[in-house]
Amino acid sequence: MHFFRHAFLRVVLTVSALGFVASAAAPAARAQLLARPGWERSLVNIEVTFKLYDAFQPWNEPTRAIRKHGVVVAPGEVLTTAQYLPAHTLVRLQKGGRGRWYDARVKWWDAQSNLALLETADAAFWEGLAPAPLARNVSRGPDFELVRWRDGNLETRRVEFGKFTVSEGALGFAPHVQLEVSSDLPGLGWTELIVRDGAIHGLTTYSSGRVCGALPAGFVRRVLDAYRAGDYAGLGYFDFTWQPGSNPELLKALGLEGAPRGGVVHAPGRESDAARSPRPRDIILEVGGFAVDVEGDYLDPDYGHLMLENLANRARFAGATIPIKVWREGRELTLDYVVPRADFADERVPREVFDGAPKYLVAGGLVFQPLAQPFLRGWGDEWRKFAPFRLQYTQFEKARDARKSLVVLSGVLPDTINLGYQEAAMLVVDKVNGREIATLADLAEALRAPSPEGGVHRVEFMPGRGLQRVVLDAATLESATKRVVEFYGLPAAERL
Amino acid sequence: MRANVFLIGWAWLAVFLVAGAKAQTETGLLEGPPPAVAAAAPERAVVQILVSSQVPVYDAPWRSHPIRRSTGTGFVIEGGRILTNAHVIAWAKQILIRRYQDPRLVPARVVFAGHDCDLALIEPLDPRDLEGVKALEFGELPAVQSTVVTCGYPAGGDQMSFTRGVVSRIEVQPYAHPGNRALLAVQTDAAINPGNSGGPVFQGDKVVGVAFQGMPGLQNAGFFIPPEVVMHFLDDVKDGRYDGFPMAGVSFEQLQNPAYRRLLGLADDGRGARVDNLRADGPAARVLRPDDVLLEAGGFPVGSDGMIPYFGNRVAASVAFHRPQAGQALPLKIWRDGAELDVEVTMEAYDGDRLAGRQHDVLPRYFIHAGLVFTSLSQSYLDTVGVLGRDRVWEGWARLLHTLHHLPAEDPAAARPEPVVLAGILPHAVNADIGVRGRALIHRINGVRIERLEDVRRAFAEHAGTHHLLEFVGHEEGPLEALDRAKAAAAHAEILRNYSIVSDHRL
Repeated sequence: MHFFRHAFLRVVLTVSALGFVASAAAPAARAQLLARPGWERSLVNIEVTFKLYDAFQPWNEPTRAIRKHGVVVAPGEVLTTAQYLPAHTLVRLQKGGRGRWYDARVKWWDAQSNLALLETADAAFWEGLAPAPLARNVSRGPDFELVRWRDGNLETRRVEFGKFTVSEGALGFAPHVQLEVSSDLPGLGWTELIVRDGAIHGLTTYSSGRVCGALPAGFVRRVLDAYRAGDYAGLGYFDFTWQPGSNPELLKALGLEGAPRGGVVHAPGRESDAARSPRPRDIILEVGGFAVDVEGDYLDPDYGHLMLENLANRARFAGATIPIKVWREGRELTLDYVVPRADFADERVPREVFDGAPKYLVAGGLVFQPLAQPFLRGWGDEWRKFAPFRLQYTQFEKARDARKSLVVLSGVLPDTINLGYQEAAMLVVDKVNGREIATLADLAEALRAPSPEGGVHRVEFMPGRGLQRVVLDAATLESATKRVVEFYGLPAAERL
Repeated sequence: MRANVFLIGWAWLAVFLVAGAKAQTETGLLEGPPPAVAAAAPERAVVQILVSSQVPVYDAPWRSHPIRRSTGTGFVIEGGRILTNAHVIAWAKQILIRRYQDPRLVPARVVFAGHDCDLALIEPLDPRDLEGVKALEFGELPAVQSTVVTCGYPAGGDQMSFTRGVVSRIEVQPYAHPGNRALLAVQTDAAINPGNSGGPVFQGDKVVGVAFQGMPGLQNAGFFIPPEVVMHFLDDVKDGRYDGFPMAGVSFEQLQNPAYRRLLGLADDGRGARVDNLRADGPAARVLRPDDVLLEAGGFPVGSDGMIPYFGNRVAASVAFHRPQAGQALPLKIWRDGAELDVEVTMEAYDGDRLAGRQHDVLPRYFIHAGLVFTSLSQSYLDTVGVLGRDRVWEGWARLLHTLHHLPAEDPAAARPEPVVLAGILPHAVNADIGVRGRALIHRINGVRIERLEDVRRAFAEHAGTHHLLEFVGHEEGPLEALDRAKAAAAHAEILRNYSIVSDHRL
């Protein structure tokens, strides 16, 4: 009892200190606060120090630290979102919203589900902490409470249910169900808890205006259960592209009989087996036994109407076989679609790169990097405005060849060997010494040609409006690279 | 670069004909010691141009924006015509000129407009309106650091304004009016402000340029068109037709890298620029090859920096390619396979990239069927498409931009001569369920690949199926939409009536 009263006092003091209108709370609400379980025994602070990506000097590794929240969900386990963890150098935990920090270890993290589990070997940390339950029932509120540590005090504020929706995660591209709540609170999205009736209903992941997004408890629990059972294969996604069947004339043009329904496929998948996948002009009628309406939605028994994309992960995850009933050429057909695993590494220009420090290769002062969105984001918050258009557009264009990735000449460290090329930059490499380049490893291999034609390494860029080719003296390339590395203080000429 | 250049003279200013403060005038309205520029009274040949113009709405191409009024400057040249900037008279519905110290408004018309070089010739409807005006004469390209005087009717006052400055530098600059051309230009610190456009730049009593643009972010920097560009324009129109500046279709790169020079067998003597890229259908591609080295162009020695010495300046070698008229041969000395070679490129005017520039004076083409508005993808159309930060919106805009500006060079076989966009939809029950509401590139209609707007008309007209099927360009295969053919045909006239559209096409 003492604990709860103490908690209430903290909340009131905190709200008062911040100048918020706490007195508006009705007596019943106050009674509910008193009856609330002790979130301070489960909610913890997390400090993450992580590496930033210096797009223009990828060998530099500046760091930044942020604080977010986690929640004890099992003995010895703190659950949090995966944001900021992929490139972490130090993770620490703090309980009670203040005081000592405890070194922690990332036990598991997953970009697509945006979930992570932390642990610490320091037994003192766990003293006084208790797991909090993830809600088993889906709630539509209408009200939830948002719980966070703020200036050493536990803050509990009312938030309103918005909707369940399906969208890509904060770190991944696999669409899944999300909870949206409305709140006037600033600065949300740092894994605050969305709670009701003593259980966690969501972990916040972002906020935009009054809308705050959260991972719903049901989704979190399913992923954690699968992980703990050892059969979590990652989130999947539908790799074909479809559009709502909201134009009945289009459905008629495609020969659909009966009432308008379903979504229309307009581009095939690239990762899945073509024979078992929907193809252009198929009409998706059912997915996993759920009928698809003309909006491309299905009726989820838990969440209501959701976009069919959620069905890629509703029952199982990547690798699962899901029956997809389509209308094709005048008849219904059921495809045993195998859900591909969502993995940025499969993207030609990946939106995220999580496999370690940024790769680069310096050859004769020419700096090459894999072309990826983190590189483009090097132009800052307004990178869509300022990053080179042609590089950005590689993310949206239909590939003209089969190469799975691209390499870009990102700049030149001036040296005598590259005289005349000082301004060459932001060019996608096509070939080196006649060899097609998809990766830095390809590039390194091509440059190892013992006696290239004419005694030069020939670097060709993608056809277009910019510079088409440069050559580097083969005989002096190695020594020049060594000279550049020393002169510019690089830790190494390459990180492949 | 294009976005950084602004045009001068695009706002309506209530400018009245008032004598220069100290100028000796023909009518003797003002008295005072005559300044140097007034010795021959060249300002008497300078006119103010008042234009009422109307620009089409590119995403609703049957409509036009409200009438816009603007002022510029022009000057009388030999032949009783007035030289000014093309951007001063672009889209003009009415052109009026005011002679120096003359209260009358004189109607005028466009004789020639060279939008690629931002020059135009106009003349009064009644030639007698210029009687007694002594035409101005052109001088040579002014030297850097020499003094020039601009003359015109810029903002900030009503009277003719003179500003003095020096020639800061001379080099190739992007011309903002066409948006996709770069020609020789002269930078000066003489103030050139809105309203100056088309005005003469004097050195002594000779015209050494036509004021035309400024550049935001640069202080005390205005630009004028040099005599060689002006004379090229005037020579071009002598046959009664304007062909435009020729484009060879070749890009050169510096050749300063020792290894590259050695590979091509060249000494390290600072000579020659390397042929890096050739437009497949350009005249240069019939003569040059990649990695040819351009040693001389039109008699000008080409340096390894890609520049030529040009009357005391060092300018891009492209200047040599801009000197001939279309149809004339440009002699080149090149280095190929270890030897010098003399060749000629017969220059051609090029309008294959017309749509990639800003459109002027030619109303946009369009075709409407059942409320679906199709038009050409052009830079002027692209200017109507807002760019937002969200990926999906950005992607649509980027696809248009890439198609217009990059695809022709990257993949000529995939590029279309006139990419067509669904600019918008005029809402009606027959099209209300179509999800793609506009700003989308058309790939095929009823299986017909759309290369130009005529294909759209043909694809609709010749289709006999129950539905019209439209395929849009996307990341892979794009979205699909359909119209009931019979209902579309039945609704077509009603939609045109509802939206007060006189014609369903301009082709």
